[in-house]
Amino acid sequence: MNRTTSFLSVGPSAALVFGLVISPLLLLLRVSLYEPAVGRGFYSPGTVTLANYATLADSHILSIAGFTLFCGLAVATASLAIAYLLGIFLCSLPARQQLVALGLILVPKTAGLLAMLFGLQRWLPRGLLAAIIAEVYLVLPYSVLVIFIQIRSLNPILGQAARGLGANRWQIFQRVTLPLSFPGMFLAFQLGLMWGLGAFLGPLFLGGPNETTLAVELHRQAFEYGRWPLAAAEAVVLLVLVGSAALGLPAIARLRKVAHL
Amino acid sequence: MPHTGMSLPIAGTAPFSGANETIRLEEVSFGYGSELVVKDVSLTIPAGAFVTLLGPSGCGKTTLLRLLGGYLVPERGRIFLQGRDVTTLPPNLRQVGMVFQSYALFPHLNARQNVAFGLEVRGRAPAIVRQQVDAVLDRVGLSSEERDRYPSQLSGGQQQRVALARALAFEPPVLLLDEPLASLDRHLREQVRLELCRIHRQSAVTTVMVTHDQEEALASSDIVGVMQSGRLLQVGTPRELYDRPLSPFVARFLGDANLIEGRRLGMNPTALVLIRPERVQIGSNWPGRVMAVNYHGADLVADVQCSDFVLKIRTRAVTELAVGDAIALDLPQDNLWEIPAESTPR
Repeated sequence: MNRTTSFLSVGPSAALVFGLVISPLLLLLRVSLYEPAVGRGFYSPGTVTLANYATLADSHILSIAGFTLFCGLAVATASLAIAYLLGIFLCSLPARQQLVALGLILVPKTAGLLAMLFGLQRWLPRGLLAAIIAEVYLVLPYSVLVIFIQIRSLNPILGQAARGLGANRWQIFQRVTLPLSFPGMFLAFQLGLMWGLGAFLGPLFLGGPNETTLAVELHRQAFEYGRWPLAAAEAVVLLVLVGSAALGLPAIARLRKVAHL
Repeated sequence: MPHTGMSLPIAGTAPFSGANETIRLEEVSFGYGSELVVKDVSLTIPAGAFVTLLGPSGCGKTTLLRLLGGYLVPERGRIFLQGRDVTTLPPNLRQVGMVFQSYALFPHLNARQNVAFGLEVRGRAPAIVRQQVDAVLDRVGLSSEERDRYPSQLSGGQQQRVALARALAFEPPVLLLDEPLASLDRHLREQVRLELCRIHRQSAVTTVMVTHDQEEALASSDIVGVMQSGRLLQVGTPRELYDRPLSPFVARFLGDANLIEGRRLGMNPTALVLIRPERVQIGSNWPGRVMAVNYHGADLVADVQCSDFVLKIRTRAVTELAVGDAIALDLPQDNLWEIPAESTPR
């Protein structure tokens, strides 16, 4: 492959990544370093300050960050547990029924999300549980897909081998299926964690005053109070948290694997 | 006399009596959908025998093995292991070790843990597990470094040994081997085959192996059963099957075969007469002309046109033969075998 063709193949992708990922991040970072607006506008152009980040050390924001972490872990744990059970159930169905069941699980993603959340709001009292349930509800189709694909990819001969060695169904699950589905479980947990850290719709529609996440808070700062630099600083912190979940967890898993070997 | 669907003695041992049988199949049939892939198979295997089910792909031999292991339940017939009816018993309650063609080693467990699996799920004490695992790994010759490796870090031959050790660790009375040598290269296959025979001799476990390789079957087994289209065509010692097959299919499947109509040799006109190429001698009675010569290192294989039939002969490579040579052949009477007329679907 010569230079022209490699540029032609890589160029558009690189432009897309730069235009849609890197440049918005750089702009966000820059906005977080402006001083708040005096008079008209959202910030004071030409200024540079770390004051917005210092504001984040405020106990109110820290408690919001704490709840955001809690929300991430709760959504990850609950979605993993439910998705695993659903994944096992799906794998036990005949192929045609699997398709129907998968379709039903994916319905929330194809129907209007807001409509579904309003539906949930009708019967769930606002509060912590409702906010978490809503977020689990939103991420669950992805988690189920991840787990389902992982379990379905397990070689069925391994279960037969375990059976032939004397294992009963529970022992096969505990000693073969479960450990071999760890990669899918890990991915589903990571997905749930990233989703829960960025939770917005659930806490907004179904959470109470104490169930404010960083995403809800930065939305308020930006669109209710017009404090764009502070909202941008909160967004940067949120991105660091989500980025840590995206990159940090696999790194820990790799270290554990190396130690294991 | 060869047997079909019957019990047999192991070569060199006392003739089989019902008291020492390990496996008995009684008219076992199994199908996928409406098509039967195993048809009315009856077979009795004495304790300690090495039995090979031999046949082409799709003949039902692996299905029969899975029926023995309890992975499938027959539609008709009964299966007995050590005199106990196990027809509907699941694999975990059968006490049968199985080595799968792909080995089916647990990828998340190292060799030692794989071998310990069957003992642990049976609730054996950890000290006994350790002791038995080491003993069986010694027996299959896996080195101490290899024992801590994961399947992905082991070669094909090493994985095969682990699979064998895992199947033997809980000391089952029956060992099933599903094409255990198929994934190995030619050199390793012979080496592992010899090891399988050695381990079988040491453990004296009744072994049933499935293969499509006739050399493997003849070289390893006390008893060979040849299958075609779900039926067990003939059961016998390797020598019986090779020398005295009861059908053209068995004759051809076990090796090169000259099958000549009996009338051409002045024998039973309704029968086919078998003579193996290596039993044809260069002599004086049947004049012919060499049509093709293939050099095989130690041997030469030649096609010789004799009046109105072609004979394949195998002779030592030191013999000088060339296409077009006029030679004469002898067909020693002792080496001719009439295949009964009623079995002549070819």
